[in-house]
Amino acid sequence: MASDIEKLMRRLAAGESSALGELYDLFAGRTNALALRILRNTQEAEDVVQEVFLQAWRQAGRFDARRGSVEAWLLTMARTRAVDRLRRRSSRREAPSETAVAATEPPATEEALAVRKALEGLTPDQRQALELAYYDGLTQSEIATRLGQPLGTIKTRIRTAMGRLREVLR
Amino acid sequence: VTDEEDAPHGLAPLAAAGALDAKERARFDEHARRCKSCRDELRAAEAAVARLADTLAPVPPRPELRGRILAAADRRLRGRVRRTRFVSWLATAAALALAVAFLVARVQRDSTRAELREARQKLTDMDTLRDLLARPDSRTAALAGLAAAPRARARVVWDPASRQAVLLASGLDPAPSGKAYEVWVIAAAAPVPAGTFQPDAAGRAVFRLPALEDTTRVRTFAVTVEPAAGSAAPTGPMVLAGAAS
Repeated sequence: MASDIEKLMRRLAAGESSALGELYDLFAGRTNALALRILRNTQEAEDVVQEVFLQAWRQAGRFDARRGSVEAWLLTMARTRAVDRLRRRSSRREAPSETAVAATEPPATEEALAVRKALEGLTPDQRQALELAYYDGLTQSEIATRLGQPLGTIKTRIRTAMGRLREVLR
Repeated sequence: VTDEEDAPHGLAPLAAAGALDAKERARFDEHARRCKSCRDELRAAEAAVARLADTLAPVPPRPELRGRILAAADRRLRGRVRRTRFVSWLATAAALALAVAFLVARVQRDSTRAELREARQKLTDMDTLRDLLARPDSRTAALAGLAAAPRARARVVWDPASRQAVLLASGLDPAPSGKAYEVWVIAAAAPVPAGTFQPDAAGRAVFRLPALEDTTRVRTFAVTVEPAAGSAAPTGPMVLAGAAS
């Protein structure tokens, strides 16, 4: 599997557009799910998906499989772009034109269960701080203000949450 | 909070979670360029936090998105040759953004309402421009200075889908008293007026055009000198013109 992905990434770097189609088929659903979770708007989420796959197309040559998975690479790009849009929205004080996102059954895959288990190992405070940063695009200071907690407390919560995630999900 | 905790070293988990503000993140990235352990930490933390998406059910995008992305990738492949010129143009855009920032700073000092409004408008225009640049489908046209304004240069960047367009110009003389520069969009038949603008003291302008009417047939953009209120059809000398690339 790993080597299939590496081959796919080499074809992508060589500018084979069929490779881009295959990459899309593998990861578009999850990329879109993450963008949608952050933005809660179908159109904007799909704009992010488009930007992410075109960025992957441009930068495939720079991808190094030894440094991490393709999926993490794509999702990190998607999260960054989605949160940028979220922040731009709030700096313009635009009312978020939210699309009702249909509630879907959370996946019952082994990976999903492992992550859910890791999250269950966090205290509600740690989990909340992590999700406010990752999904809602709030900075540590913004989280501290929103929750009425000292900045140091928020830093510790996020650090601890990240440490647990890494421990369980290595 | 100790100093040690605040040093960029050790911020990788917070960076991966997205908890740093832009300034903190820039400081961390600068540090990580020289610190391998921070780079490794960041990557491992990013991989762990990306796993949060495993708990989300995949949502397939609408079917037409796949084809749109492949078509855009194909165009990009063919457009590679043109990229270097685009980059130098981006530098111009960055310089303009800086100029706007200076304007804002000056206005905050002088703070008359009209100037504030003007600065806000310019910032909105720069925002629109940045959005347009980020869109993979956006197109550009290079406008060359004609005999009436040989030093002038301009670009129009527009997005066929949203019909938004921004003109970026430099090297323009101040318009004669009572006159303004007017933009024209030439699609099918007669030139359609697309608003008037005045360059700044440095001869530059960032001007957001009204929504384009017929984006599929846009061929040429031009700028002429007209009475300040604008004309319905070009009457004065043409200073800039260029076709869609």
